[in-house]
Amino acid sequence: MPFGIVVISRKHVGWVFTGLGSLGAIITAVLSYTYAPGVDPDAWKAPEAYRILFWHVPFAWTSFIAFTILFIGSIAWYARRKEWGWRLVATGSDLGLLFGLGVVISGPIWGAAEWGVPWDWGDLRLNTYALLTGVALFIVLSRRSQADGINTRDTLSTVGLFGFALVPITILATTLYRERHPGLIIVKSEDSGLDPEISRVLLIGVLSFSLLMIGLSILTELSYRLQDELTKLQQRLDEVVH
Amino acid sequence: MEAAKLLSASNLDVYRGNRLVLSNIELSLNEGEVVALVGPNGSGKTTLLESCAGMHRMTSGKVEWRDDNGEVRIVRDFEGRRKRLPPMGLTLQKDGICGDETVEERLSTALSISGCAPSSLDLNQMLSTWGLDHRAVDPTAQLSGGLRRRLAVLCGLSPAVMSSNPRVILLDEPSEGLDESARGLLVNWMRALAAQGNGILIATHDPEMIAASDRIVSILENGALSSETQDCLAFVGELPDSCPAIEPNPLASHLRWAFRMEVRNPIDTISRLLPALISLLLIHTFVDEKEILVSGNDFLSALILAPAFISVLVAPALIKRYAEADCGRWWSALLGPMHRISSSIIGASLILPLPLIYISWLILGDTASAETSQDVLESIWIIGLSLIDVAIAASAVHLLVADLHRSNAAAASLLLLVLVWPFIELTDALTIILNDGMTYGLGMEEPFTMILLASLTSLLIWLVAVFLPDN
Repeated sequence: MPFGIVVISRKHVGWVFTGLGSLGAIITAVLSYTYAPGVDPDAWKAPEAYRILFWHVPFAWTSFIAFTILFIGSIAWYARRKEWGWRLVATGSDLGLLFGLGVVISGPIWGAAEWGVPWDWGDLRLNTYALLTGVALFIVLSRRSQADGINTRDTLSTVGLFGFALVPITILATTLYRERHPGLIIVKSEDSGLDPEISRVLLIGVLSFSLLMIGLSILTELSYRLQDELTKLQQRLDEVVH
Repeated sequence: MEAAKLLSASNLDVYRGNRLVLSNIELSLNEGEVVALVGPNGSGKTTLLESCAGMHRMTSGKVEWRDDNGEVRIVRDFEGRRKRLPPMGLTLQKDGICGDETVEERLSTALSISGCAPSSLDLNQMLSTWGLDHRAVDPTAQLSGGLRRRLAVLCGLSPAVMSSNPRVILLDEPSEGLDESARGLLVNWMRALAAQGNGILIATHDPEMIAASDRIVSILENGALSSETQDCLAFVGELPDSCPAIEPNPLASHLRWAFRMEVRNPIDTISRLLPALISLLLIHTFVDEKEILVSGNDFLSALILAPAFISVLVAPALIKRYAEADCGRWWSALLGPMHRISSSIIGASLILPLPLIYISWLILGDTASAETSQDVLESIWIIGLSLIDVAIAASAVHLLVADLHRSNAAAASLLLLVLVWPFIELTDALTIILNDGMTYGLGMEEPFTMILLASLTSLLIWLVAVFLPDN
């Protein structure tokens, strides 16, 4: 049956990508301690804490992709009520929450060690990701607590768009704040440039997390597709019972 | 000659949850006609009636109404267009009445929204006819279920009774919960209103109501409609005289209603004030002057603004009032696209931010010099006004979440995170006022600019929360 073959092959591809990505993420963590060199202790307040970067940056990259999926899905559902759009909302919010939490947890750990404070309201990326992670968490929780239906989907896709419409506001607010509070450490780290070995490990990390992201996207989207099929079958059963 | 159409729904598809309840529906309501919508439970009678009032999003089709000038206008369509309904009468299945309203207020509100200005004699006469005059000044929460239903039905019929122009009246299960005499009165008034040219659409199971109709529209099991006309033999009752017409101003009616509800039962003020005062007392108890002096003015600014900020984040009590007996849906139907805009403003904490900031300053600002204190007292009100903007944005976000079917199960606070930035801007502004005094320049370092930016940020959030949803 062609339908069955497609489902099975997609599932296997998803698992392979997820497995490779997870393995790569572990290897990145190991390399960050064994291969990546230390940084200049005079330039950094907490030189050892910088190693969190090897997961923090890939988390940020993958969460960016997840939030983009959420945004595209929200537009597709909001404007045209496309089923695939809603599946993207579900997938994007699940993965956005997962990887976004990675950013907003690893960021403050690093920030606490390096800046002396866990949170910087002037840091554009941290705040934007916190906001979008909050939106993703809201959508994930609401999808669980609300009965599925067009009205719920309309409202939650609106929330997805609401989150993205807030991004320029966040940028405006944090940029203005930064203008009055210059000298953020994140800017210094960018100015200082990266050692080639650090870049290499970082690249492995980004590639691994990207594979993990692709694998999880395939599996999550597939699970929602199957859930849709199941819902339709249940509805048909309801009609037969009544 | 064919009677003029007052309302028409064409090619209507409406979902409830995942179920397509109405599919490709064509329905019209003419002048002088009583139409009964009948069908088994769950067939979509209520959905169809409410869709005619523009209360449901549709995936195809449109609903059009004729206004007093004879022009036909779309009140809602599948592309998201929505306009306010012309003056009309509406009785929902669940009454749509908030328990804090008095009987007389409710009737008066229903009439003023429809552009009728009845005298108190007119109101008394109608209440007396429906056996409600002895409870005129009582809150509707104190009425029995039957009396509440009488009031809801009267509020649905009265805009047509008091008007000299033909009106549409939508009644959902109007006879449910009414005793025999009230049912008789309802039938008499329906027939009398139809005789005057009004159009009445009722969703009903009641054989008495069906018998009093000119046309029966049945919703079949496959979702299709079948229509048959009949000769109605019901007695035509007498109606009170119409009253002078005024320009309908639903927004003013909504504002007056919300103000009255809050004055009568100030749950919004209390639920905002209490956490603000507790936080202020805790700050006063646990943070001593030395800590404030050591930490600097930015710390003091945050402490002063925190209680007021907490008060503006609390969910508006208006949402709870709306949830009572579908009261919010009744207002939503009558206000149309203005509902969320109006609700986000009247549901916000408009009164508390200013006094709370002054109280916080008087309690926590001991460390400041007399000169600084004077400067702060003279200028802090601008920060208070900006916090009102934050309050309106917070209220709009809460209303966005309230759109969910189980809004109590949704974590609205996650979406309020963004309001931290206006708060930070205001904290910075107050810090500069404390350090250097208030200035009204427009440079980036000027407190006035920061306050403007806080208001601008709140305005943008409000715009997004109010205009994105298709409500």
